[in-house]
Amino acid sequence: MARVGVFVCFCGANIADFVDVNQVVEEVKRIKEVKFATNYKYMCSDPGQQQIRDAIIQYRLTSVVVAACSPRMHEKTFRKALFDAGMNPYLLEIANIREHSSWVHQKDKKAATEKAIDLVRMAVAKSIANEQLHEISVPVTKRALVIGGGIAGIQAALDIADARIPVVLVEKSPSIGGKMAQLDETFPTLDCSQCILTPKMVDVASHPYIELIPYAEVLELEGFVGNYKAKIKKKASYVNFKTCTGCGACWQKCPVKVPNEYNMGIDKRKAIYTPFPQAVPNKPVIDAEHCNMLTKGKCGICAKVCEKGSIDYKMQDEIIEREIGAVVVATGYSLWDPKPYEEYGVGRFKDIITSLEFERMVSANGPTGGVPIRPSDGQVPKNVVFIKCIGSRDEAKGIEYCSKICCMYTTKHTILLHHKVPGSHSYVFYMDIRAAGKGYEEFVKKAQVDTAATYLRGRVSKIYKKGDKLIVRGEDAQIGQVVEVVADLVVLATAVIPNKDNPDLARLLGVSYDKYGYMSEAHPKLRPVETAKAGIFLAGCTQAPKDIPDTVAQASACAAKVCGLFSGDTMKKDPMISSVNNEFCSGCQNCVKVCPYGAIVTEEIPMSRGSKEMRTVAKINEGVCQGCGSCVAVCRSMAISLAGFSDPQIINEIVSI
Amino acid sequence: MKKLTYFPGCSAHGTSEEFEKTVRMVMQRLGVQLEDIPDWNCCGATSAHTMSESLAYALPLRNLVLAEKLDNTTMAIPCASCYQRMKVTKIHMDENPELAKEINSTIIEEGTYQGKVAIKSMLQYCYEDVGLEAIKAQVTKSLAGMKLACYYGCLLTRPKAVTQFDSPEYPMSMDHIVEALGAKATDFDYKTECCGASFSISNSEVVLTLTSKILEMAKESGAHAIVVACPLCQSNLDMRQPGAEKHSGKKFDLPIFYFTQLMALAFGMPEKDLMFNKNIIPVEKALANIGKIEPEPEKSKKTKKAVEAESEVA
Repeated sequence: MARVGVFVCFCGANIADFVDVNQVVEEVKRIKEVKFATNYKYMCSDPGQQQIRDAIIQYRLTSVVVAACSPRMHEKTFRKALFDAGMNPYLLEIANIREHSSWVHQKDKKAATEKAIDLVRMAVAKSIANEQLHEISVPVTKRALVIGGGIAGIQAALDIADARIPVVLVEKSPSIGGKMAQLDETFPTLDCSQCILTPKMVDVASHPYIELIPYAEVLELEGFVGNYKAKIKKKASYVNFKTCTGCGACWQKCPVKVPNEYNMGIDKRKAIYTPFPQAVPNKPVIDAEHCNMLTKGKCGICAKVCEKGSIDYKMQDEIIEREIGAVVVATGYSLWDPKPYEEYGVGRFKDIITSLEFERMVSANGPTGGVPIRPSDGQVPKNVVFIKCIGSRDEAKGIEYCSKICCMYTTKHTILLHHKVPGSHSYVFYMDIRAAGKGYEEFVKKAQVDTAATYLRGRVSKIYKKGDKLIVRGEDAQIGQVVEVVADLVVLATAVIPNKDNPDLARLLGVSYDKYGYMSEAHPKLRPVETAKAGIFLAGCTQAPKDIPDTVAQASACAAKVCGLFSGDTMKKDPMISSVNNEFCSGCQNCVKVCPYGAIVTEEIPMSRGSKEMRTVAKINEGVCQGCGSCVAVCRSMAISLAGFSDPQIINEIVSI
Repeated sequence: MKKLTYFPGCSAHGTSEEFEKTVRMVMQRLGVQLEDIPDWNCCGATSAHTMSESLAYALPLRNLVLAEKLDNTTMAIPCASCYQRMKVTKIHMDENPELAKEINSTIIEEGTYQGKVAIKSMLQYCYEDVGLEAIKAQVTKSLAGMKLACYYGCLLTRPKAVTQFDSPEYPMSMDHIVEALGAKATDFDYKTECCGASFSISNSEVVLTLTSKILEMAKESGAHAIVVACPLCQSNLDMRQPGAEKHSGKKFDLPIFYFTQLMALAFGMPEKDLMFNKNIIPVEKALANIGKIEPEPEKSKKTKKAVEAESEVA
């Protein structure tokens, strides 16, 4: 005879305000198999769990039903409570009366209560047919894949590799370094970005546990946590990295000039190039779109000057495979194109630039030698207007969210201008100054005093040209008047946006993403670096806009998660998987076709014991099966069963209401 | 001959007679036959739309219903205010059939609104339906030598959701048209700034400040004259110009042309028919620039080269 215990949670007010939890207890007590039922404010807390543990022993329960939040939240917690009381953890059933009832029926307490009672009744009925199950062990491939070689990917790769776990680092451009390599100094300490980043880049290249694959993309990821297989496309670089010494003869002689992405197109690079002098690896690639030899079949100068004979115009893209156990996604961000700001004359006035363009100009290794200039006439600007929130917090033209970093880097830019151009003056149009972070507010305050920059709270409505100056007209909301500022240069702090291909990558990896295209974490507070897909983690701006300190912290958190995952030789896996009853299997192989994970193969077994005639039956690969149940649904002879969701369990549920 | 439904509007019979007349001349030359909406009424732009919502819809809606009795798919309107009232009404009626039915019931004796006629400003019609090539083909007397600042004002391109035409902040359609006539359109950053026309009577001080700024920027752009496509813009910039000169202490001397006046001129139509005598700021000096072509100043590329050289060193 089954003996079921029911534990109803208030979830603070989340459930109790909309579901009559006392009535739920009273109702379920009438079910004859229910030997104990109670409710409590926080069932997941220790006193809550203690009630479960005590009841299991006192009432000799044979299964437990917890009516609370989604099993995705606390199923593991309660399974552990059962285990601690000496009970098989899979004798637990969760009735989700929060997401499925109290949260969605807040306007009708009576209906919500009735629905909650039904949900609990179903869970009780199901639990009666629950069987004891045992975790499965699967082998783990202890190698991590890090996608993206910016500061997030670099930090994650180094931390994982330092734990002596092999890392494959895939970077789509010819060099690692990412956006941080384009920065001059970093807030709030004005550390030189190059000085703190480039040694880490070198560490990546020389680390015995890191395989760096630059100029490459991940094409496919199949498998499951601990046992993924990644297909990686190494784009043809047309340069043999093994023999190339990086001497630079090729790019000095190359006759083709192309706008330089690293310097935001302010100067030119060659068609054979390294992105910047401190690039890692410091080997050039040929830009196939612009190379004369590859587009027109004429030129070949780089091959002639290369003493090592490293140039290979016939090189093809190469597809390689790596077996890995976990993935860290660190693909970074893009910047919003301010073209919709037509009233500012974006695109018409050369002396309106973006913050990253300004950053390149003031960088010591930038195209203008560290001094900002006006693109229109090459003169050094004196009066510079910085406009924040271009595209950020702008539902009409851009995106709703705050890009988080612009207030701080604009402050930094006023300091850099002050340092590099004597007699210059900064004007900053802002909505709010958002300087939350260690040392941030102090940084802003000090900068305002040191640079004597003019901060104007309000939006700019128009920019027009007068002579060779730009007139910036905006509101100074603090004096309630329209003001006009005569500017030599205008710098727009454009919004941080996700990379355009972020959704494609997310789909490829099987990770969810939000309405903007940022990849979604498993829980916004408690699982900030994990995704809903086991073994895939997020670092940096691929998840949301963030600054360098937050990015590095997140990358190290990813590394800790990966190391934790790889801490044993095998990995425990839920036993909720399919199994085949060979007696019933007709060998139709419909299950093989529908399995999304490729977890079903076939095997030959004797027709009967001792028989030499063979027949085909389906066989489940326990390590690969994810327990989705597709095979169960298509099996005509009902030979496949899914542990935890067996026919008796499901039928019990349906019959109970 | 192509047929086009036409709504002249009240200004056409008063302050903007020269616009009205030249529109008809130019359209005939371009092979477009204008069919006036029979028994049209005021669009309600001046006061109705601030006093009563239903009246603000009912007045234009009657015109829209009457326009559907003609067999054309498009209607063009020279006045920017009329255009705005009619287009706003059309959009609201098309989006909200319930409201359309209610408003329609007040003028039901005229017919039932079906929403089948597209509404364009005369500028939009010239740019999109006639096209630059057809305009160029009619030019017999090029306006080369003339520099013109094209002024669009508030209503021709804004709000974008209503007008669905050109850029709301920096439109170029009129610029392209005057360039098709041979003139040079100047870079004029104030082309969509408000001239204050709605305060013309109640607070003329505001109007003088705003028009002064527009005139000043047009002058600085190097223009000999301003081109408009709206009767209110024209009268405000033209009639208020002496006041604006006094207000700002600057001499502008900028005649304000309708773009159709200049089209007619470039099409070789007799100058006496273009009603330049209605312009308050004399036009002769500006027109005298036609044919006087300055050599293009050579652009210095030195600084740019210097930058490139510098970057290569780096």
